Amino acid sequence: MLERPAFCLVGSLLMLTACQRGEVSATRDSVFVAGTKIATPASNPDGEWAMPARDYSSSRYSALAQITPANAKNLHVAWTFSTGVLRGHEGQPLVVGNTMYLVTPYPNVAYALDLTQPGFPLKWKYRPENAQAAVGIACCDVVNRGSAYADGKIVYNLLDGHTVAVDAATGTQLWRTKMGDINRGETITMAPIIVKGKVIVGSSGGEMGVRGWIAAIDIATGRQVWRAYNVGPDSDMKVGPRFKPFYSQDRGANLGISSWPGDSWKVGGAVVWGWISYDPELNLIYHGTSNPGPWNGNQRPGDNKWSAAIIARDADTGEMVWAFQPTPHDIWDYDAVNENILVDLPIGGATRKALVHFDRNGFAYTMDRATGQVLLAKPFVPMNWSSGIDLNTGRPNVNVDKATAQGKNIKDICPSLEGGKNQQPAAFSPKTGLFYVPTNNLCMDFEGREVTYIAGTPYIGGNAPEKGGPGGYKGEFIAWDAVNGKKVWGIQEPFPVWSGVLATGGNVVYYGTLDGWFKAVDARNGKVLYQFKVGSGIVGAPMTYTGPDGKQYVAVYSGIGGDMGLLIAGDVAANLPFDVRERGTTLPDLARYTSWGGMLFVFSL
Amino acid sequence: MSRLSQHLYVPLCIVGLTALAVRLSSAAQTPQQSSGSKPGTQPTYFIEHPDHIQPGLALQGTLNTLTNPFEGNAARIAEGAKLFIAYNCMDCHGADGSGAMGPSFQDNRWHFGGTAGDVFQSIYEGRPEGMPSWGKRIGDDEIWRLVAYVQSLSKGHDVATENFTGKTIARSGH
Repeated sequence: MLERPAFCLVGSLLMLTACQRGEVSATRDSVFVAGTKIATPASNPDGEWAMPARDYSSSRYSALAQITPANAKNLHVAWTFSTGVLRGHEGQPLVVGNTMYLVTPYPNVAYALDLTQPGFPLKWKYRPENAQAAVGIACCDVVNRGSAYADGKIVYNLLDGHTVAVDAATGTQLWRTKMGDINRGETITMAPIIVKGKVIVGSSGGEMGVRGWIAAIDIATGRQVWRAYNVGPDSDMKVGPRFKPFYSQDRGANLGISSWPGDSWKVGGAVVWGWISYDPELNLIYHGTSNPGPWNGNQRPGDNKWSAAIIARDADTGEMVWAFQPTPHDIWDYDAVNENILVDLPIGGATRKALVHFDRNGFAYTMDRATGQVLLAKPFVPMNWSSGIDLNTGRPNVNVDKATAQGKNIKDICPSLEGGKNQQPAAFSPKTGLFYVPTNNLCMDFEGREVTYIAGTPYIGGNAPEKGGPGGYKGEFIAWDAVNGKKVWGIQEPFPVWSGVLATGGNVVYYGTLDGWFKAVDARNGKVLYQFKVGSGIVGAPMTYTGPDGKQYVAVYSGIGGDMGLLIAGDVAANLPFDVRERGTTLPDLARYTSWGGMLFVFSL
Repeated sequence: MSRLSQHLYVPLCIVGLTALAVRLSSAAQTPQQSSGSKPGTQPTYFIEHPDHIQPGLALQGTLNTLTNPFEGNAARIAEGAKLFIAYNCMDCHGADGSGAMGPSFQDNRWHFGGTAGDVFQSIYEGRPEGMPSWGKRIGDDEIWRLVAYVQSLSKGHDVATENFTGKTIARSGH
């Protein structure tokens, strides 16, 4: 009934669209949101996955449809591969042609696997130079969120602040460009995207008092084309005549200085460690910025622009076109770096060019991506720090009882600093019109304190132990209707859902859990169709591809880590005889179910 | 800030390095003496130094015997706890030293040795995976206070077995 007709598998983009429409009309599901589409579907074949979120719109949707709710129970592990590295395996593999490309956590080894050969032997293995000191500079484990492919090159970032390009055919290093400085606390963990021959990258270090930037590198030469800061003078931020934020309070000269006391913007954070989207029609890239530094807000009264912000920039020049702060003067560590999913949505009788963003602060924003206007903002997780968003200003109404402050221990703030969602990217399916969102349900106590800036050390000024949120679960995988701002269904989990999501044309969506369950779920109703316990907790994002045998495969990293593995659980490590940690109160049972690992799992029918 | 023991480390360090240099030079001479006829790839002599396997042990009797002037001094340990916050140690090693970006101090396990001299050296020189070198930035007397505090965190701890009905520690994510 919901099986995709055979011609869809080989159809052109046009036919595929027609097919999706036709099938949708036959679906008649209550969860269906009519008239939604991915802003810019991927242009490469359905069986490939060539950039972090598969397309510039960050949908993480693949039209592959061999695996359906009817047959998903027949999924099984087809093959596996050990990366040889432990710690948090965030991000996703790529498949281009018949080659799969992997990148590991530090030391950021890259592998190319030949999918045409039995046992999938390596075509090459690339081990970059990568300064060991970076390990202790990275705030939240030594993760890497993946590579991007273009022009026969695999491009990705190294923890020690370099961006590298290697020849996709041979693994030969083509260039290696220093973009960040670990001596100032900058590491790089994000996955680049490649737009018209430019590699777009940003750094991590929001907890280290760095000054955030985003930059473009010429993919042919490795030379920087532009760099734009997110705090400081307008000239540095590439704010000029084209800058037209939607809300009046966001307009004015040099807000990147005047919204900070003194020179505090110089160590003000606002780094770009999350995912980047691109709209070719508007020629805009969309990126978030991290928390301001330090967490302790008493040291930086003001809006702290443009920390904790969503920013649209010209892809060619880096010029800022609009900016919006979900959390002005953030005092909860609510970074706004989560992915911006670009979709066209029917809102108020018209089709809007929308941007959907599930913020750390717990609100799901449906925005106009051309102007930066907030069309809708609704809580997608339990929260109490704000009573809602004022759509006249876009600003949150803050519950003063939950405002953190120096010298005070504010109890039970929800969501916690991990946010309603964190690095784990959501997915969108044009077949259901729904967003599939991995979420956290955690709360925290927060005690602010004064902190001194010391280069290369954390610049935090707060202690914030976390606990489970209301309802007795700590994470939930939800389906979200961004037109109406409503949760459609959810699967509650005992741990935060820290994996990314894959949505497919077969109406099966996939995610993994911190305790190591990989799950295939019916996109329409949230019914779990298949699950398998992998070796280590899942913090990466599943992807799908077509093998040389014509079969659909689904691949995901297993390898707990990141904030949840290194900082919150603490005791999931087993490889360090000199560092034996006791359990954390936040996820006290996690190490019963999982330990560090580093494996690729690939599933098929 | 008092600089009472500002220069305590340096002379001892020189003594230590001198001792090391002597050992190294005598070791270096051994192959020359025993391979006078022709340079071979296989040593013709037998190396037996039961202490050469573990790095640092060659220094025994020098740095390892450094004593902390504030050992067991509650007031200095309390000052060390304040320095632990002031120099942002807590954000890497955990508010209570239970581990975060950097390793735990509550487990009585030490990557680079756990004597007062070892811990002093780790702080003074830094360590390869991101531990900054503090020796040129803060006084020896402050480092000794930190050593006393850090060592006090794991006194008597045994963490070999994790029992899932056991103790938990409030951790803070970044």
